[in-house]
Amino acid sequence: MKTKKEILKVNNLKKFFNTPQGMLHAVDDISFTLSEGETLGVVGESGCGKSTMGRAILRLHEPDSGEVIYKGEDILKYSSKQMKKLRTEMQMIFQDPFSSLNPRMTVSQSILEPLLIQGIYKKEDKRSLRIKVKEIMNLVGLADRLVNTYPHELDGGRRQRIGIARALVLNPKLIICDEPVSALDVSIQAQVLNLMQDLQEQLGLTYIFITHDLSVVKHLSSDIVVMYLGQLVEKAPAEKLFANPLHPYTKALLSAIAVPDPDFKADRILLEGELTSPINPKPGCRFAKRCLYAKEECYGNNAGLVEVEKDHFVACCLIDGFINQEKGVKQKQ
Amino acid sequence: MKDLLLIKDLVIHFETDDGIVEAVNNITLGIKEGQTLGLVGETGAGKTTLAKGIMRLIHKPTGKIKDGEILYKDKDLLKLTEKEMREIRGKHISMIFQDPMTSLNPVMTVGEQIGEVIKAHNRISKKGIEKRTCEMLETVGIPSGRAIEYPHQFSGGMKQRVIIAIALACEPNLLIADEPTTALDVTIQAQVLEMMKSLKTEFNTSMLLITHDLGVVAQNCDFVAIIYAGEIVEYGELRDIFKNPKHPYTIGLFGSIPNLNDNVKRLKPIDGLMPDPMSLPKGCKFNDRCKFAMDICKEKNPEMVLLNNGHKVKCFLMQNNI
Amino acid sequence: MSNNEFVNKGATKNSGEGRTLWEEIRRRFKKNKFAVVSMYFLIFLIALAIVTIVIDIVDNSNIYNNYVIKQNLKDKLREPEFGNPSMIFGCDEFGRSILFRMIWGTRYSLFIGLIAVTVSLITGGLIGSIAGYYGGKIDNTIMRFMDILLAIPYMLLAIAIVSALGPSLINLLISIAIPKIPSYARIVRASVMSIKDLEFIEAGKSAGASDIRTIFKYILPNAMAPVIVQATLGVADAIISISALSYLGLGVQPPLPEWGAMLSAAKTYIRDAWHITVIPGLGIMFTILALNIFGDGLRDALDPKLQH
Repeated sequence: MKTKKEILKVNNLKKFFNTPQGMLHAVDDISFTLSEGETLGVVGESGCGKSTMGRAILRLHEPDSGEVIYKGEDILKYSSKQMKKLRTEMQMIFQDPFSSLNPRMTVSQSILEPLLIQGIYKKEDKRSLRIKVKEIMNLVGLADRLVNTYPHELDGGRRQRIGIARALVLNPKLIICDEPVSALDVSIQAQVLNLMQDLQEQLGLTYIFITHDLSVVKHLSSDIVVMYLGQLVEKAPAEKLFANPLHPYTKALLSAIAVPDPDFKADRILLEGELTSPINPKPGCRFAKRCLYAKEECYGNNAGLVEVEKDHFVACCLIDGFINQEKGVKQKQ
Repeated sequence: MKDLLLIKDLVIHFETDDGIVEAVNNITLGIKEGQTLGLVGETGAGKTTLAKGIMRLIHKPTGKIKDGEILYKDKDLLKLTEKEMREIRGKHISMIFQDPMTSLNPVMTVGEQIGEVIKAHNRISKKGIEKRTCEMLETVGIPSGRAIEYPHQFSGGMKQRVIIAIALACEPNLLIADEPTTALDVTIQAQVLEMMKSLKTEFNTSMLLITHDLGVVAQNCDFVAIIYAGEIVEYGELRDIFKNPKHPYTIGLFGSIPNLNDNVKRLKPIDGLMPDPMSLPKGCKFNDRCKFAMDICKEKNPEMVLLNNGHKVKCFLMQNNI
Repeated sequence: MSNNEFVNKGATKNSGEGRTLWEEIRRRFKKNKFAVVSMYFLIFLIALAIVTIVIDIVDNSNIYNNYVIKQNLKDKLREPEFGNPSMIFGCDEFGRSILFRMIWGTRYSLFIGLIAVTVSLITGGLIGSIAGYYGGKIDNTIMRFMDILLAIPYMLLAIAIVSALGPSLINLLISIAIPKIPSYARIVRASVMSIKDLEFIEAGKSAGASDIRTIFKYILPNAMAPVIVQATLGVADAIISISALSYLGLGVQPPLPEWGAMLSAAKTYIRDAWHITVIPGLGIMFTILALNIFGDGLRDALDPKLQH
């Protein structure tokens, strides 16, 4: 089995925001690695910081500290000239098909704009531009006749395809997808997800797939990280995470998903309380307030990610206890 | 079991400059007492229009109810005066809208908003209203002391609970919930749905639950109706629809959803898009996307066929089997 | 399986006619009959003004000198005669045909108004964009200067500028343009602030777009809608100001046929000759009315677009 080349390594990434209520720890010490051609699923609910993290990696928000090592170089140290060049390698697909396209630009103008920004083509190279745009539209499944239409004339699914085309036009290697299908209808979601899968195979793309929908991410990801209030609480290959979720939040998240099967009796773990924001967080586990298993020590200890079995990391100070409990149960059987 | 609400041959059009939007086309649908009917469809299928039609809140002047009856306890709501309809809204039939962020008035406290509904339909003293308001807040899991707070001080899930409190304050017989949890996070969605289920049992309220999420339907509904391009294409008991879907669109929908419990390598989406309600195709509205389309499907619109167990399907394929 | 499987199925809203937002707006605007009539009236006035300029160039201001400026005391205060075309509005206190003076006067009100508004708009727009885009201290500093300008009553400021600089056409323009800058700055700033966080702006940045490109190519074209309406109403305002300043003797100097100045000069003859006040007065009134109705129509036409 060929070991894949590491393309991205994020070390201790932090991004804070100063708000009137205090310091918002949006992204608090995040680390992970990603290999070429793979998909990292980033899962979490509102306020967990997943979108901020995606933007911080691209330096759309400037990180406060940490390293983002892309192909061996820390891009946080790049000058603005180097960053502009780097943009051809890393792109983003956005969530909202309505606000992610410029209402004043036609489909082809939106798609070709990155090429003009990077100076790869000039406005005068009309013929080459026309050929390029048709090529990309074909690739994402947009009909030629839509070349001069405006976003407000099209539905969400088609708009999202334009967003994908725009992200692809610079031939990037890494694409960060921020909830790319959340705003779409179910059957359109399926079309777009299939398209993204196909493109990954055809073009050898690496994805960071940010979503709150665990079922979507299982389908697409090789590895998954679960975020809660700015921190990673669990990290594992996709099958391991679903087969054996260890962190109490992951378990609750999985059990909360409404399964489309009337006979399925969910072992519902209903969490108390609400999703808050990580503003001036106290030391200690940020999930402890809502956790069913929380003990005294959880409030003092902020355990980082610990490798509990091969490639499976969990941030929970009680994790050893859980695993022993399970082993005990298995032994008794 | 008797139908609490019976919609018969309802037709709703919007007359705009660009053309006529045929939003709801001859829908016949019943909701039984104490039961939850899930109305499943995608964007543009007409579900919100149908819900607003029941409440007679269709946007004027473009929206027009062209035909049909809506029988609530055998009284046709379409024949009531506006004043009589106001008696119905809030007291007999309540509605929850999709977006909790914009459904509450930002300059009134939540207590005042719940109180408004109670006052509109009951002759009780101010103290009585306050008491009932606090009761409702506690029922939806919000400490009653928060009645003096404003909507912006609540999170999304909490706002939705307030909206549910407003909707149930006068103990209506029917609650129409339009995508009540779509805008909420997964764990909050689970909380809110659990709460709605228990409230439904406590008050014996019927519910029309509009959603595109088949998972939510599976966990909360007794009956299911699938809506496509303004028509009901399939209807039946929950298990029947999930275990034995018959209409090609329904089957297609099930194939599109990524399921946690299956190991599917590739999703099977339905080709194409829902037709534009301003230019619906002749014949069966689904024919241009249907794998099984026959010649007759392009010409004529199929009738609803009754299979066993109250399971109805609007498809020519069914007629061949019988 | 090609990615084209979904390509030809399903409908788009206008089958991809490429109907731009502007075309949508024009269509909606046309429904408002009053606004359309007003628009044609304004176009007519602008055409008149252009025609007079051309005539002056071509015939070397011959008509201008002989009919608009030349005094003809034997026709002093002559009443309007409907039979005689050049006498249809009568003559003023110097025997000059009011009809000719009205026509030759269109350029002052409308053009100065338009130019003044354009200057305010561009200056205010630039200031507002920078304040709105960068925010923080830059925003604060700039907007406090704008607040200072706004705090001074409009007419007083205009009068002060004109008095200081002297009553010429250019100074008139400056004195009308400057007090309006803060209003445009505020509107553009608000628009820019609401647009700069939208995702398509982030998309541009993630492709490497510079700040300048972002502001001018992406944000401003989308921010212009509320400004355009304000601008049409601003022209109306400017015309009133020009007329007021001229009335006070600070605007256009005699014998130039500016309508406000004509109104002012006629005030002594109000009781004897109604036509030399009423005609210019009506002219000003209808122009402002047309501008207001047109502006309202534009605003209504632009609004529904947001409901998509």
